[in-house]
Amino acid sequence: MTTNASIDLSNQDSEVRTTVKRTSKHRLILRRFCRNKQAVIGVAIVLLMIIYAVFAKYLTEWDYDEPDFLNLKQPPSAEHWLGTDIVGGDLFVLSARGLGRSLMIGFIASIGITVIAAFVGAAIAYVEGWFETVGTWILDMLLVVPTFFLLAIMVSKSSGTSGWIWLTFALMLFGWIGYARVLRSIAQSLRDREYVAAARYMGVKPLTVLWRHMIPNLGSILIIHTVLGVVYAVEAETGLSFIGFGITPPDTSLGVLIKSGSATLMTAPWMFLTPALLLLALCYSMTKIGDGLRDALDPSSESGGKA
Amino acid sequence: MTMTHPAELGDTRESATEPVLSVRDLTVSYGSEAGPVRAVRGVSFDLLPGRTLAIAGESGSGKSAASLAIMGLLPDSAVVGGSVRLDERELLRLNDREMSSVRGLEMSMIFQDPLSALTPVFTIGQQIAEALDTHQDLSRGQVVKRSMELLDLVGISDPAARLKAYPHQFSGGMRQRVMIAIAIANDPKVLIADEPTTALDVTIQAQVLDVLKLAQRETGAGVVMITHDLGVVANVADDVMVMYAGKPVEHGTVDSVFDAPQMPYTMGLLAAVPRPDRSTSGPLVPIEGNPPSPVILPPGCPFAERCPIAVDQCTEAEPALVTHGGPNAHDAACIRADEIVEQGLKYTDVYPIPELPPREANVARAERATVLEVKDLKRHFELSSGMLRRKTGTVRAVDGVTLDIRQGETLALVGESGCGKTSTLLEIMQLKQPMNGRIVLMGRDVSELGAHQRRKLRSDLQIVFQDPMAALDPRMPVYDVIAEPLKAQGWTKKAINERLGILMDLVGLNPDHVDRFPEQFSGGQRQRIGIARALAIEPSLVVLDEPVSALDVSIQAGVINLLESLQARLGVSFLFVAHDLSVVRHVADRVAVMYLGRIVEIGDVESIYTRPRHPYTAALLSAAPIPDPQVERQRQRIMLSGELPSPTERISGCRFRTRCPTYKMLPEADRAVCEAEEPDLVKEGETDQQRACHFPMEIK
Amino acid sequence: MLFLATSGVYFLASWFLDPRSNYMALRPQPPAASINASLDYAGINDQTPIFERYWNWLTDIVLHWNWGYSPVGEPVSGVIWDRAWVSVQLVTISTALAIIIGIAIGVRAAIRKYKAFDHVTNSVSAVFLVMPSFVLALLVVLMYLMLQQRFDLHWFAVTGLGDGTFFSYMQHLFLPTLVLTLVGYVGFHLTQRTYLLDTMNADYVRTARAKGVPQNVAIRRHALRTSMIPTAYGIAFSITGTVTGALFVEQIFAIHGAGLYFIESLSKNDINGSVAVAFLGGVATCAGLLLADIFVAFLDPRIRIS
Repeated sequence: MTTNASIDLSNQDSEVRTTVKRTSKHRLILRRFCRNKQAVIGVAIVLLMIIYAVFAKYLTEWDYDEPDFLNLKQPPSAEHWLGTDIVGGDLFVLSARGLGRSLMIGFIASIGITVIAAFVGAAIAYVEGWFETVGTWILDMLLVVPTFFLLAIMVSKSSGTSGWIWLTFALMLFGWIGYARVLRSIAQSLRDREYVAAARYMGVKPLTVLWRHMIPNLGSILIIHTVLGVVYAVEAETGLSFIGFGITPPDTSLGVLIKSGSATLMTAPWMFLTPALLLLALCYSMTKIGDGLRDALDPSSESGGKA
Repeated sequence: MTMTHPAELGDTRESATEPVLSVRDLTVSYGSEAGPVRAVRGVSFDLLPGRTLAIAGESGSGKSAASLAIMGLLPDSAVVGGSVRLDERELLRLNDREMSSVRGLEMSMIFQDPLSALTPVFTIGQQIAEALDTHQDLSRGQVVKRSMELLDLVGISDPAARLKAYPHQFSGGMRQRVMIAIAIANDPKVLIADEPTTALDVTIQAQVLDVLKLAQRETGAGVVMITHDLGVVANVADDVMVMYAGKPVEHGTVDSVFDAPQMPYTMGLLAAVPRPDRSTSGPLVPIEGNPPSPVILPPGCPFAERCPIAVDQCTEAEPALVTHGGPNAHDAACIRADEIVEQGLKYTDVYPIPELPPREANVARAERATVLEVKDLKRHFELSSGMLRRKTGTVRAVDGVTLDIRQGETLALVGESGCGKTSTLLEIMQLKQPMNGRIVLMGRDVSELGAHQRRKLRSDLQIVFQDPMAALDPRMPVYDVIAEPLKAQGWTKKAINERLGILMDLVGLNPDHVDRFPEQFSGGQRQRIGIARALAIEPSLVVLDEPVSALDVSIQAGVINLLESLQARLGVSFLFVAHDLSVVRHVADRVAVMYLGRIVEIGDVESIYTRPRHPYTAALLSAAPIPDPQVERQRQRIMLSGELPSPTERISGCRFRTRCPTYKMLPEADRAVCEAEEPDLVKEGETDQQRACHFPMEIK
Repeated sequence: MLFLATSGVYFLASWFLDPRSNYMALRPQPPAASINASLDYAGINDQTPIFERYWNWLTDIVLHWNWGYSPVGEPVSGVIWDRAWVSVQLVTISTALAIIIGIAIGVRAAIRKYKAFDHVTNSVSAVFLVMPSFVLALLVVLMYLMLQQRFDLHWFAVTGLGDGTFFSYMQHLFLPTLVLTLVGYVGFHLTQRTYLLDTMNADYVRTARAKGVPQNVAIRRHALRTSMIPTAYGIAFSITGTVTGALFVEQIFAIHGAGLYFIESLSKNDINGSVAVAFLGGVATCAGLLLADIFVAFLDPRIRIS
């Protein structure tokens, strides 16, 4: 009794086939992602922003700590491409520096959040029993008070140039809670999959099961969340900086720039508009990239990952 | 076989009237990432009032798409062609609003999944009333009166109160009855039922099919029954149309098709199903291969690739559906149909009969070693609700199960869903001290095991799951899937590699395919991977949880044959959980019938199937449909009243008495015994059979 | 739950806020004894053991409903309730508007899937989805002021809450409410659209069509109500966002609500003040949860029965 008749159409050497198949899987994801035009544009915008943040200071004669005292509060001109602020700082370089700081905080915090959330979420879901009950309970409790309040309390006193590290840390500390809840529910459904039960019945150790079956299958969700997490972190950072906590001068960020711009909203709108538009473009692009990744990695889930 | 009786019946009906529904060359196609999917490729039939046409076929044959196309319920993206005429009125040209005046009034439909087919936020009464109000101008009082009549007709007691209930307060079988009530509310001329009993247990299936027949008698409607179950076809149909790859391949009266199939595919289907009423010791006849993809169809006969008698001509052009044959003349789409009819070929002539290795010399059961012994196993779940986790009840999922399995034998655990068979199995798989009772595997009491010993003992106990996709990690290549238990038992890489080659060969897969991922295999092949994984470390006992119920019959036969040959070769024991009584009769040596957490009857298959002593066993057996129209017509069913009680309910004495047909006929004094004493399993004379009933059935 | 969360915030605030630094920064520096006396009066002296301070704080609240004092000795309870009332109006009105507008757009978009309306609303919502509330608020202010300059309009006001008359009140409330509504409606629009699209293909909608109910009626009657159940659960999450948004809106529009009080408290190292506002935030979340439960129970008879 042998029915290996028609596994599929090819009878090529299986060794070759496997490697071909594996690359084509990645290529398939890439192709699906590229089909989403908004996501591709998003990638381009984010790349441009990173380039801008890194190289802007080489493009003009101005430096962020060398104000042009002859040109205070000037609208965009040939000399100052994006205008100057009230003390004569060149907004082209200042924005680049602020953007760089915001990007750094956003990416570091988001990766940190994902790592923490993945482990906590998967562990809570896998371990079951009282640990799960207590874990879920703590998660619920932390959600009662709006996270932003907690963040504000934590970072209200940080200042100076090292303040951003502290802020990043605080963002990680509170940011994983919402994600861990989502991941937990997904991990719980993974736990009930039969292949996880099968592994357990085979006598595979719990940690191996967690590592071998749970985390890889959470993979696509983790990638998507890392991308979307940047939006969360950047928005939280700019928000805190805007109300005067988080990043404070002399260090700068998009939030700090928007704050100073908001004071001269009518008399010098470019001071507000430049960082605000950068922030919007960043958040919008990252969201589109996240959506594109979700469609590419997880074509089945329409609303997956929503809280 | 006498053909006179059914033929006469057919004749009288056929001459009755003009067809009420006439379908010509119906096609359905829709786009997909891989290209256009041609789901239905030319279906034609006439349906006479009062007759039942069964459209039979395996998953993906296009039978459901065809029925939805007739109702005009396909999504807008689907392209429908051909003609559907209801009383000379062309339906395919109507828009949604015009079609709405036909749907529910002249033609209505019953769907497969009763659990999701009713709107959860409206009462049953509101949903029946909607069907009435859409097409008739009735007063509130009339609507309520008619709704109650309908519920009464479909066998729902206390209709006044039930009208105010919500769907979630109904069981699956009850909801399907409500669906039937809605479908016949306006006395339609055509009733389309799409797999109406597939999601239900056999005893409930028998009830629902009866209700459906009653509904047909009341309305005089023509019924189109879509089903994959040939037993259901034999039970309800006058005519049958077999579909394959979107096209009808055989069409005729039920008797002529079942008696003298002309198309090799139909022959194969009929031969591949085991029968609950016959002991078949030989191998089943599987149809090799898989159906073609509806995106890339071969130019010729779509079945040619799998057909054992295909000739070159078959791959050139698709054969038309034409009438062949003498006394059993009907339509078939096969160029060799005339030969088949003339030479009177049976499936045994067409299909090669697979050979199974002989089973080892019959050692008496008592002399074989005991692999698993379960004694008085109990598993209760506490139900709680609300924030404070108030205890609201206890589910007695397993409530005193005792069984043993000897080396090399198969014990089947059967019963309706919710009877506790899966819980029993999971409890055994835990290999931990149960809540109550003892589990002894290979002579070792599991409650005395340490963590390390438990892991070692796992090499003696493996499991195969029902859903072959869910049981395999989609991100692991087959090599890692099958190697997983070996790695867990600490095998070396070299030993694993050698073992894998043997295993792939053993389950009939190409060893070169170990680098592929599960999604690249078909359902049957995935189940073979699951079996290879379970057998990897040579266990003494494999637990099989509904291993073939997710597979189509033609694939199922191959997997069953594989299991039997593996048992013969390796001497492994199986604990086989299934709801399909025909499969059980074929594969099992012994069978245990479970009801509400307890075994009510246990013994060797032949005794249980031929002379059941427990009324529940008898009822289960009589509810199982038999793929033979003549047998089906003459059968007397033992109908069980009602449905499985909730396992939280505490029933004094015998827990089956609430549905027991025997109990109803007992004198008062005997009833008291049933009410007071819980029957234990008692040995049936000197045989292997044991039953838990105070008043067992007479032996015929 | 709320109690534990608020206690957690108390400890967090006590750990991170340093009211003593207010005095240490003064020139000339007041004597240590006088600083301690002020801090002791407010119950926020960092030289007192934290649990003792916590206990005093807690008993004052439980027994006297006294939420402590700011570092300069003003009672928190004296101002916070008035301020909270202002914020409650803002949050309630905009949440109600956000729910109504969001669901209405979501339903219409789902029924006209992939038509112009759906595309337009989707793009607009995608922008509002990522726009931080303070940027949105500033943009609204900027645009309004530009309009005002150009056309000499004086329809609305951008600071404070007016002189007490109803008309002036509405004038002042309009723009902040607009901002918060825009922040909130997006979530309802997108979830309602997704869930309605899901339920539109549900088996029971097909059943209704099989009865002879036309497609649009079947969707309206059978899919709409069930699809609103998950949206209703979203109310709980939306409140949190609106409360945070209110913080910025109050700052930008100079509305003396609880959010602005929180910002002021933090910059003054006012432990008791900021904890009290965090508590209010928690109350708002709980109110959101309760509201969600009520809506769900209203929509879903299964919940009502059990």
